[in-house]
Amino acid sequence: MTNILIIAAREFRQIAAMRSFWLTLLIIPLSMAIGGVTPKLVHKDEPDRVMVIDRSGGSEARAIAQRFALDHNRDVLTELSRYVQRRHLEGADRKALWSQHDRWYSDLDVARFIAAGGVASATARIDLVKQKDTPSYEAPLPDVEIVPVPASLAAQPDARLDEALKLVLKPAARDAKPVDYVVLIPTGFGASPLVRLWANRQPSQRVVGTIEDVLTRDLRTRYLSAQGMSARAALHASNIAPALSISTPPPGGGARESMLVRSILPLAIAYLLMISLTLSGSWMLQGTVEERSNKLLETVLACVSPEELMYGKLLGTAGIGLFMIAVWIGCALFAAYATQGAIADFIRPALAPLSSVGTIIAMIYFFVAGYVVIAILFLAIGAMSDSMRDAQGYLMPVLLMILLPISILMQAVLGGNTGGVLMEVLTWVPIWTPFAVLARLGLGIPTWEVIGSAILLAAFAALEIVLLGRLFRASLLAQGQRPSLAEVLSRMRAVPN
Amino acid sequence: MSVLALERVSKRFDEVLAVDDLSFSVEPGTVFGFLGGNGAGKTTSLRMVLDIIRPTSGRIEVLGRAPGRANASQVGFLPEERGLYRQMTALDTIAYFGRLKGMTRSDARREGASLLDRFGLAANSRSSVDKLSKGMAQKVQLATAIVNRPKLLILDEPFSGLDPVNQGLLENEIRRMSADGATVVFSTHVMQHAERLCDRLLLLAKGAKRFEGTLEDARAELPARLELVARNDPSTLAGVVSAEDRGEAEPGWRRWDVRLSPGVAPGDVLERCVDEQFALRRFEQRHASLHDVFVHLVGHAETAR
Repeated sequence: MTNILIIAAREFRQIAAMRSFWLTLLIIPLSMAIGGVTPKLVHKDEPDRVMVIDRSGGSEARAIAQRFALDHNRDVLTELSRYVQRRHLEGADRKALWSQHDRWYSDLDVARFIAAGGVASATARIDLVKQKDTPSYEAPLPDVEIVPVPASLAAQPDARLDEALKLVLKPAARDAKPVDYVVLIPTGFGASPLVRLWANRQPSQRVVGTIEDVLTRDLRTRYLSAQGMSARAALHASNIAPALSISTPPPGGGARESMLVRSILPLAIAYLLMISLTLSGSWMLQGTVEERSNKLLETVLACVSPEELMYGKLLGTAGIGLFMIAVWIGCALFAAYATQGAIADFIRPALAPLSSVGTIIAMIYFFVAGYVVIAILFLAIGAMSDSMRDAQGYLMPVLLMILLPISILMQAVLGGNTGGVLMEVLTWVPIWTPFAVLARLGLGIPTWEVIGSAILLAAFAALEIVLLGRLFRASLLAQGQRPSLAEVLSRMRAVPN
Repeated sequence: MSVLALERVSKRFDEVLAVDDLSFSVEPGTVFGFLGGNGAGKTTSLRMVLDIIRPTSGRIEVLGRAPGRANASQVGFLPEERGLYRQMTALDTIAYFGRLKGMTRSDARREGASLLDRFGLAANSRSSVDKLSKGMAQKVQLATAIVNRPKLLILDEPFSGLDPVNQGLLENEIRRMSADGATVVFSTHVMQHAERLCDRLLLLAKGAKRFEGTLEDARAELPARLELVARNDPSTLAGVVSAEDRGEAEPGWRRWDVRLSPGVAPGDVLERCVDEQFALRRFEQRHASLHDVFVHLVGHAETAR
């Protein structure tokens, strides 16, 4: 046992001394962090500047401005509600709109929120109940800013606007702020539905959609009035909207999303198993090939048995894999509990399966067994190869055989598909079992399938250790060309005397 | 008790009989030469002694036990094909093999540092192997074999690939280990090393033993030869097989290369010369070299392999 540990420690140190190991180790947390920061980086700090030249009397420009203000306040209220829900601050005012999370805030709700004092009033109440270390609510910035129409521009006839707006949309001066959208409501709007819009880039769906919606409502109101409906009734008809009640299992959208969030951890473990196995297995393979090509094996085998060498290598590689996983999980936990960003909001509910002891045991078992079952394949390849080029010949088909169905499986799970023949096949074929069961744990897998596949996996691992152990032993000092399939099978059958 | 004993050991790889009914023993403190051409079965025999491969038949005893890793703490081994972990430092490498041979971490590092110091590599102890010259790496390899101060040191073609400086270093280490009471078994096909170092020799050809004994015993395998300067042809003397005239040594005297019959001692021939008043100006016994013995016992075909 001592020799196994000494070999494992050397393997661990050798891999840990590689630059590629540390780069790989840091890539995942870094990409998660970048993933969390990216929305902030790509988010435009400056709101879109919209100018409305209303030649129809000014009511349309006012309606558009009010609508942008209303939508912004709806965003503020929605975000405030999510902030309160995440931090369980409903106690500040249970009757307040922002304590009611199961609804879509209507225009009337937004108006009531503003009338009740808006963000200032809400945060004042929340501050009374929130913990000191709970961050304060920060309202989102408006997406749109309505800019006034300069008199010189208002005086321009419609036909000259194209020329006149060039410098407004793309000013020559570097420090001048461009106007992103200019909307022209012509004098005859109503009789004619024609409206012109200039934009200094590809128009945003949200801005154009809002303008279109406001003007559509106005056209409908005008139409209904023209059909004899009273102005009040016509306005009401144009503003009719359903009151949406939304069920929101915390913190995401619908039930399927909730299931997916809860399946993230087992799925992530399956994915991490795949990544760490592929990487640490490749490193172990390199080490074994190095021992063969550097003529080291005879020296090592004079001190330890082939079995000790094999188990030591497996243990060292598993140690590397588990270390990688531990670092990644540590980063995830840090992100979950030490930060308050989007990552934390995502990870916390994803850790929900950890409340089940059975799930934890299953995850650890299938992870470790998966490691042994796949890593030993890498080890046998290393023992049969005199160079990395030789090893690649075996490695690529094996990797494809393992990873391709798993990639399809993960896509299926992410798509919410937990059944199907493929899923069943992958669950019961031992080299895919760990990935399939881990991926299915979050979405629900019958207990008998978990236990049955676990027993089958253990039996397969035992058989693999015996057969590939023989192949490893017989291949260590074998020289010459790559063994044929018949030779490989013959080495597996060779019982050590 | 023998440090190493092989009793009727054979090893067969498919159709090839690599070692054929080999028996010998090595006594404590001996420097034992394992001689043979390429493919004679030397490496296979040593691998069986180390339990890297198992014999097809026969019995092996190492330090009174069956071969196995239980002996690792008392055995040192330097294989013919040598290599090191390129990314490990010199000291870590030696300490690693020391640990695999049952040493504690501190003992292994202390002994490793002492060996590196003795080999003139103290300043390189923290250098990774890939930064060492080939000669330095050879010294580190030797250190990995002897870090545990083995009772039995097995060296497979230890001089192959070594530069002259390291050949001298290795010879000194073999003598040092032997003086300290260790038993050294080394295989070689370079006869000069064996002549200089070995107390006993074993000649192997095609897997089978052709000779075992001391250097003198080996030389006795060949008929003695004399170099004479005489007036007359010495082939008439009793015990002489042939005498070849090698030309005039001085006026009236000729130089003769004389081959004696097997078992005839040069002293007996000298006595007869005196008795028969056979005129001599020079009587010189020529020792057969180990190379001659090897060629005689194993044959030209084997040496050419």
